[in-house]
Amino acid sequence: MATAPPIAPPAPVPTRKAKPGGSGPVRRHWRLYLAISPFYLLFLCFGLIPVGFSLYLSLHRWDGLGKMEWAGLSQYRYLLGDSQFWHAIGNTLIIWAMATLPMLFIAMVCAVMLNSAVRFKNFYRFAYFLPNVTSVVAVAIIFGSVFSTNFGLANAVLEGLGLDQVAWLNTPWGIKVAIASLMTWQWTGYNAIIYLAGLQTIPTELYEAARVDGAGPVQTFFRITVPLMRPVILFTLVVSTITGLQSFSEPQVLLQTASNSSTFAGGPDNAGQTMVLYFFQQTFDNNDFGYGAAISWGIFLIVAVFAIINWRLVQRKGK
Amino acid sequence: MHLSRRGLLRAGLATSAAAALGGATASCSVPSGSTGRTMTLWYWTGGLSDKTVAEARSRYTDVDLKPVQIGGYFRSKLLTTMAGRAHVPDITGLKGEDMASYMPNADQFVDLRTLGADRLKDQYLPWKWDQGTAPDGRMIGFPIDTGPVVQYYRADVFDRAGLPSDPTEVGERLNTWEHFFDAGERLRKRLPGTYLLSDLLSIFQTVVNQSTKRFVDEDRNFIGDQKHVTDAWDLAIEARRRGIVSNLVSGTPDFNSATESGKVPSQLNASWAAGDLKLAVPKNKGKWRVALLPGGGANNGGSFLAITKACREPEQAFEIITWLLNPDNQTRGFVDASLFPSTPASFERKAMRDPDPFFGGQVTIDVFGPAAEKIPIAYNSPYDIALQQPIVDELTKVNSLGKDPDQAWKDAMRKCRRIADHLGVS
Repeated sequence: MATAPPIAPPAPVPTRKAKPGGSGPVRRHWRLYLAISPFYLLFLCFGLIPVGFSLYLSLHRWDGLGKMEWAGLSQYRYLLGDSQFWHAIGNTLIIWAMATLPMLFIAMVCAVMLNSAVRFKNFYRFAYFLPNVTSVVAVAIIFGSVFSTNFGLANAVLEGLGLDQVAWLNTPWGIKVAIASLMTWQWTGYNAIIYLAGLQTIPTELYEAARVDGAGPVQTFFRITVPLMRPVILFTLVVSTITGLQSFSEPQVLLQTASNSSTFAGGPDNAGQTMVLYFFQQTFDNNDFGYGAAISWGIFLIVAVFAIINWRLVQRKGK
Repeated sequence: MHLSRRGLLRAGLATSAAAALGGATASCSVPSGSTGRTMTLWYWTGGLSDKTVAEARSRYTDVDLKPVQIGGYFRSKLLTTMAGRAHVPDITGLKGEDMASYMPNADQFVDLRTLGADRLKDQYLPWKWDQGTAPDGRMIGFPIDTGPVVQYYRADVFDRAGLPSDPTEVGERLNTWEHFFDAGERLRKRLPGTYLLSDLLSIFQTVVNQSTKRFVDEDRNFIGDQKHVTDAWDLAIEARRRGIVSNLVSGTPDFNSATESGKVPSQLNASWAAGDLKLAVPKNKGKWRVALLPGGGANNGGSFLAITKACREPEQAFEIITWLLNPDNQTRGFVDASLFPSTPASFERKAMRDPDPFFGGQVTIDVFGPAAEKIPIAYNSPYDIALQQPIVDELTKVNSLGKDPDQAWKDAMRKCRRIADHLGVS
């Protein structure tokens, strides 16, 4: 829209046409600006103002109802030295990596298989997408049973292989594996569908040529499919980074217990406490809205760093 | 349909005008409380007896009482609404565990003393009445229910282990923590693989609840390093050392199956947990009993009704809440919704004395009643939750990961000091 050539105003407004050179693009195209204004107005109201307010809030102490007290940069100073926040960043990144790498790999394999001629293609597409539209809370409850120590499916498999039980939801690494596998299960199908769309844009001549040259399926996959799919892979990586860094419901539901402790604690050693979970704990358990706002800006910075890395990757591709 | 460019522009114009207009009108017509004759009542599912609420609607016709059940995290929704100063409910439930955090902002609620609450005071449990009162004497919460903590136990498992199984006898012979732990050791020796309790957290929390102090005092001093907390910590650690707690996490599927099979035959929990127990292990019907807690009374949970400043007819609202929560209706609350009365007069009502088949025909009020009257009065600080968390986190590490208890205590105190500094607690 922005690059479209300037549209001459409709005929019955002669005075405007008479003005020499107009007075800036805003005046000349006010109707167009007005037409797209609902988005900006709504964004201003529900996006920009809350963002600005959270910045203001992070410089104060506030319990949510009473008077705000000016706190300067003390919330940020406390944040920098807050070992639990750093721990939460670590947890988030580890869980994200443990979920995303297998997820994208399996998704690609699924997509390649779907792309080759199989029967019931539409059924498979539907089935792969189903986990993604299932409620996270419901999924987390099911995964809680799968990873339960004595009666869970995961341990039944381990025992079937002659291995020892693992107290999945009661050990730091077990918790991370459980959360990561939940996320993998939920998002693999979504990514597979996107890869499938990408695969269908690759001309079949390339594959034919490769086959003539004597390339096997593995070679074709790594020499043709992966390079041509690069923009699509980057897209899925960006989307999974965004969702991964914001993971909240998965650990919250998976690790909530009936005892009186916080539902945002993330299990033993806070091993499943992601950044957003920690933000919730500070804000809503402790009524520390000012500090909560500071944490959310900390999260923003980390997401921004990842966004820049992603952007760089995409830019490099353009060259 | 053909859409011309001008048509599109007009449509856009109309939309944005409507949005702007909508925003403008919304901002000046949002009521600070309810409008007209409406009186909104916010509570959560199971927070009041629905039947009593429905009856209140037909009883008080001067206003249009609108009960709304709020799902999810109740306190954060109430705080947000009150901070936004729009659509604030006239009457709202306040959960017991959140009470301390409302107290610094007691002026957001109507002082119930100004409406004549004092004349009803002697009908309610004194400690519960005090919990609804701010340090400056302003009364904001009118008592709904209480959560006297008791020990739930499996009579059949206790029998097999050669322990007393009659509720009176259990209450008398397991009356101290020492006797309780001895019983746990005996249980483990007689029935290998059986643990008295699921985890050490419930011991820690119960012992703290039995004290008249918590983590922060009235003068904003951190007291979580004092004897009442170290005693609770030591007892929890001792329970683990003597092998009477499992490493299951309560509320998980593993815990539920262990409870059902009798591997974890005891729980320290509030009166309202009876409902959860019946839902979690319906097959155990008739096997469980209720007895008094070792080491004295304790409370866990139990809520209040409050009238917000936005309410335009506080007298009418007060009349409604005092009717909803009078001794007769509290009896009904217990029968309908397992809300344990805060009015001792209800304990005598016939409906409360029905034998409970889940508890083998026991008249449970004979245990809950005395337990409710023994509860110590403790000051609840708005900072308690923040300063309890590091201790609970470290206890979880000891329980699940076998962390060295001395190191865990040191780490907990180090974190508490840091948080206390940050919150302005000395």
